[in-house]
Amino acid sequence: MKRRTFWGFATPSVMVMTVLMLFPLATTVYLSFFRVLPRNRYSLSACEDLGGSCYVGWKNYVDVFNDEEFWTALWFTLRFVAVTVPIQTVFGLGVALILDRVGRGRGIYMAALLTPFIVTPVVGGLLVKDLFARTGFISKVLQWGTSDPEASFLLTNGNVNWIIFLQSIWHVMPFAMISLFAGLQSLPDERMEAAAIDGAGFWRTLFHIKIPHLRSIFLFIIMVSLMDAYRVYDSVFIFATERFADSRSLQMYTIEVATDFGRVGRGNALSVITVLGVFVILLPFLYVSYRDQIAERT
Amino acid sequence: MNTQRWYHRIGVHAFLMVMVVWSVLPFAWAFQNSIKFVKDVRLNSVWGYDPTGIAYNGFWFKDDDINMWRPLFVVLGFAAVAAVLGQVGKRAGKHSKYFYGAVVAVLAFGVWLFPRLFETSRSYEYFVNSLVVTVLTVVISISIGLLAGYGLARYTGISGAVILIVALGFRALPRSAFVLPYFFTANRLGILDSRLVLVMALVAVNQPFTIWMLRSFFMDVPKTLEEAAMIDGASRFQAFRKVIIPIMWPGIIATSLFTLLLAYNEFLFVRVLAVTNYTLPVGISAATAAEGPQIFNEIPAASVSITLPIIIVIILFQKHLVKGLGAGAVKG
Repeated sequence: MKRRTFWGFATPSVMVMTVLMLFPLATTVYLSFFRVLPRNRYSLSACEDLGGSCYVGWKNYVDVFNDEEFWTALWFTLRFVAVTVPIQTVFGLGVALILDRVGRGRGIYMAALLTPFIVTPVVGGLLVKDLFARTGFISKVLQWGTSDPEASFLLTNGNVNWIIFLQSIWHVMPFAMISLFAGLQSLPDERMEAAAIDGAGFWRTLFHIKIPHLRSIFLFIIMVSLMDAYRVYDSVFIFATERFADSRSLQMYTIEVATDFGRVGRGNALSVITVLGVFVILLPFLYVSYRDQIAERT
Repeated sequence: MNTQRWYHRIGVHAFLMVMVVWSVLPFAWAFQNSIKFVKDVRLNSVWGYDPTGIAYNGFWFKDDDINMWRPLFVVLGFAAVAAVLGQVGKRAGKHSKYFYGAVVAVLAFGVWLFPRLFETSRSYEYFVNSLVVTVLTVVISISIGLLAGYGLARYTGISGAVILIVALGFRALPRSAFVLPYFFTANRLGILDSRLVLVMALVAVNQPFTIWMLRSFFMDVPKTLEEAAMIDGASRFQAFRKVIIPIMWPGIIATSLFTLLLAYNEFLFVRVLAVTNYTLPVGISAATAAEGPQIFNEIPAASVSITLPIIIVIILFQKHLVKGLGAGAVKG
């Protein structure tokens, strides 16, 4: 395809991404160096008309780093990523391996297992939270188990994090499962047969044939789940009410600060730090993708 | 596999049954709470309660005592007509597009008619907002994504690689990196709180994913197809439209499904950019903030109502979804 034709096809999309992603991103970075004063709730005003200096240099960033709540949110987010991403990937692999062995009824199982993935995250959060409430299923089981009709699973600061992690694993695992399952389906039968003839057991086939075959899928799943886990907002929003302020994700804290109209500048600084953080996490993966793309072209 | 022992097979099915329970339990629990009176939810009774539609009534209608069978019959009636038309359309061969058009028309008419038959609450407005935003986002983002995806699949220059990698980087960006500029620009343009600004925001954040996925589907289409058409005198664009697009439908449907999920489920943008004109996810989260005992059954009822449309869509197109996830993943 010629260069001109290519740009003919790509221009609308590139325009959208430039105007609606690149420019806003640049604005966010720009504003993070300013003291932004809202004139009223809905409009920012240049600080000149209100007197005082606008450009504050790195002050917003310094404020963020001196902010206790920022570190709490960052710590929560890192734990969230570190717990959920590996568990849902391995869990998904396990279910995919089993699903690969079942002959009849696979479609029905798949439909049922996919439901958590398609549900609106906010609703998913509410549903899981409901299970743990006093009138929820988990409490019901507890009441049977302890034969105490008032027993209930109490949400405390200590365990609310685990429920959030559990909810996320419940929500994202089907994605890993279906992707890996599709990969397993594309594994040629001859290789499995050859392995069986050579007397390879379950674990050897798994580690020497299946997992290497799934390499690019693992890369894809881990990359996508890292991105999504790092910027989690919706489902955490349901749990992290004032009572559980320690369970706020970074994204949630950023939005809270940024829409609090006295701290718009600091909110922008927080956004920039969040963006830098995700690239630090993703750098190795982006590098691998870039190398693949270049390799494809030479 | 036939070589498996019987106890292996039983073990596999038992494990999958447990997984089904794990996946579906929260829905099942919410459903049985949604058809109870508040007092039955409080008593936590699993058997022996009177099923009622009162929670759905409270969420969807202004009036407190509508006979819930009537709206249910209206909804089911429209759904049945649409389903019959769709089934006929499947078998109608080259006329099927008229039938699919009729399905869309029937459903749109139903959505328009419903609030004129019953006094609906604000939730219905949120539902309509969700619907409009989702459909527009899917249509716009797939249209421009198809062009770019095709270009990126066929062009071998270095700028193609750069666009793809930058898009991948954009895919990683959190919403907070965009939402404040959107908010203030939209306010200046006077489109804050409109569906338009939501559609624009969603199309933008969706673009990277759309072009990656559609590109991977285009990579599967052999080049010889359009080359043959171009030798016959078609321009590149004509070949794209008349030859390539007709065989791309599975890919288009799969990508649309993901876009649909993203737009329908969007929470953060709506929460910040919509001041009063929410879509359903924000509507339901706002409802949880309400005081009063009715939240015990209305929130489950709302959860069921908001999940149902999406479950229906996914059941209709499940094969495409699975294939799409496979395709997106296998080719990166």
